[in-house]
Amino acid sequence: MAVRTRRLTGTGLSEKAARRLTITVLLAPAILVILLLFMGGLVTGFLRSLGYFPLIGLNDFNFDAYSIIFTDNGFIRSFILTFHIAFTSTLIASILAVASAMLLRPAFRGKRFVQFIFSLNLTIPHLVGAVGVLYLFSGSGLVSRLATGAGLIDSPAGFPAMVNDPWAIGIIIQYVWKEIPFIGVIVLAILLSVGEDYESVARSLGANRWQAFRNVTLPLIMPGVVSASVIVFAFTFGAFEIPWLLGSTFPKALPVLAFESYTDVDLAARPQAMAMAMVIAVMSSLMILAYMKVSRRYVRS
Amino acid sequence: MTQVTLSGLTKIFDEKSPPAVDQLDLEIESGKLTALLGPSGCGKTTTMKMIAGLLRPTSGDISFDGDSILSIPPEDRGAVMVFQNYLLFPYMTIAENIGFGLKMRKVDRKEIRTRVTDMLDLVQLPGFEDRKPRQLSGGQQQRIALARALIVQPNVLLLDEPLSNLDAHLRDEMRELIRRIQTEMGITTVFVTHDQEEAVVLADRIALLFDGRLQQFDVPDAFFESPQSVEIAKFFGGTNFIPGHYEGGEITTSIGRFRAPRSAVDGGDAVLSIRPEAVTLGAAGGNSVMGRIRSHVYVGRYARFRVTLGDIEVEAVTDPGQVKMFNDGDEVPVTFDSNKIWVIGPAAAHE
Repeated sequence: MAVRTRRLTGTGLSEKAARRLTITVLLAPAILVILLLFMGGLVTGFLRSLGYFPLIGLNDFNFDAYSIIFTDNGFIRSFILTFHIAFTSTLIASILAVASAMLLRPAFRGKRFVQFIFSLNLTIPHLVGAVGVLYLFSGSGLVSRLATGAGLIDSPAGFPAMVNDPWAIGIIIQYVWKEIPFIGVIVLAILLSVGEDYESVARSLGANRWQAFRNVTLPLIMPGVVSASVIVFAFTFGAFEIPWLLGSTFPKALPVLAFESYTDVDLAARPQAMAMAMVIAVMSSLMILAYMKVSRRYVRS
Repeated sequence: MTQVTLSGLTKIFDEKSPPAVDQLDLEIESGKLTALLGPSGCGKTTTMKMIAGLLRPTSGDISFDGDSILSIPPEDRGAVMVFQNYLLFPYMTIAENIGFGLKMRKVDRKEIRTRVTDMLDLVQLPGFEDRKPRQLSGGQQQRIALARALIVQPNVLLLDEPLSNLDAHLRDEMRELIRRIQTEMGITTVFVTHDQEEAVVLADRIALLFDGRLQQFDVPDAFFESPQSVEIAKFFGGTNFIPGHYEGGEITTSIGRFRAPRSAVDGGDAVLSIRPEAVTLGAAGGNSVMGRIRSHVYVGRYARFRVTLGDIEVEAVTDPGQVKMFNDGDEVPVTFDSNKIWVIGPAAAHE
């Protein structure tokens, strides 16, 4: 690397520019793949969403697909549902993750084992978790039968709908379960790097445990919590398989709705499917931008 | 004003290693400035954190004015600790940092603002309210950390290495500031340091700790004039040691017999200790032996000679004019001022 930089410097480039060029060249293969596959797909999708689909004779650009979906009550309800799923699950997961990380922070015997258990479900695929939620919380699931057995409800049919339900409880349970360790591991790392001294200062100055957490620890870890939850929010907003398995038939989560329109026998529904995909992409991008902004501010302070 | 008493205070972090603090007994006088001095890792900061309530002792007791405070949480002890690396809250302004303790006590906002201004005046940083900690120099951050502690009017002020992160000239300023505030407010103050000079200059009394054990608790000059062990004398540095046998106010060494009325031991194997300033060259008399000058350095305000006495070498610090009187290799009479000789017990075997 050093040798290469020096040789490039000989061509009249400044050392900084030379280093930048070297990095660009080294990254080129990865960037090319991303550009072709990801940006290519995105551009094609965007064109389709504007009604450009020469294969079936649509050659004009228009915003018809967007005006259809934005005036469609079903789409609006899907959007609200998807936002509810992403927001609620992220919020609950963040709170529980911070609480778990706080509990896991002090050194104790067997800590490594507990930490292992804590992060174990990071490796379990979402689908497996979804099946677990089905087995546990569906009308004929384990929890429902146990509740019946304990006499809490008369029959499994009396169990409140938690899977394929309009409030998306099953989906949220699955996301919360899966995302707690993801956010938790990040928060724990930040907690350990921040150390307990700031808290000690606060306690010494007269803050009780809760005040020290609320006024000192939380603001210190907040940028990390926000960064982690924004990633989770963007993911849960755009993920397909969990709402597809555990979601209700109406309204459907946006990714499910988009996929179903896309696979519709009526090819004319494709622009709408792509328009929905674009909405999801825009939401995710906004989240990523927010993430970058927050994390940059965090790095600066 | 609060008197702090440590009795049998012990902290064991890990059962396999020796205690960080071992059976510490200490009476910290009310309204005085006390130094906890010792090499790094000797348990000074651990002791301080136990007083502040940030660490739980393994055994022993801490009391303020005679009442045990072990069951009182840190926020209610009135013992405020200022950390070595200041630890100002980075996302708060200077005013918010200083006012933190009052905000936690739910003091009225207006009053907080006035008292913050007063504190900034006290630490000589008026007008710093709206700055952020990262805009301040180390010395300024240190003063803000001090102001943040003082605003809650603590009974006991605990300072962890208050001067170690500062440049030489800032150190003098800070030292004066601490001294001034401490005298004005009369707060019982304990500070931790590894620097014996800092302890000597600043403290009313010094508690010297090695390996978690109290070695000597005394006024600063006592550590120079009557250290209780060779290790203590070595820690304060610069002293000559000559092993010998002590009996009836005289110590017999391989180079001769010396009158030594001052002693930490009654008799038996002992060590003669004498500071270089108490060794004089050229004047024969009582307590004198002949020596040969090996080398000398002219320092300006004084001169330093190394002199061989038989198989022993001692250092003498003399008037600078003496460099003209003696040459290296000269035979000279060397005199130990008998009132400056201090006889200590032999160095501990385990050391």
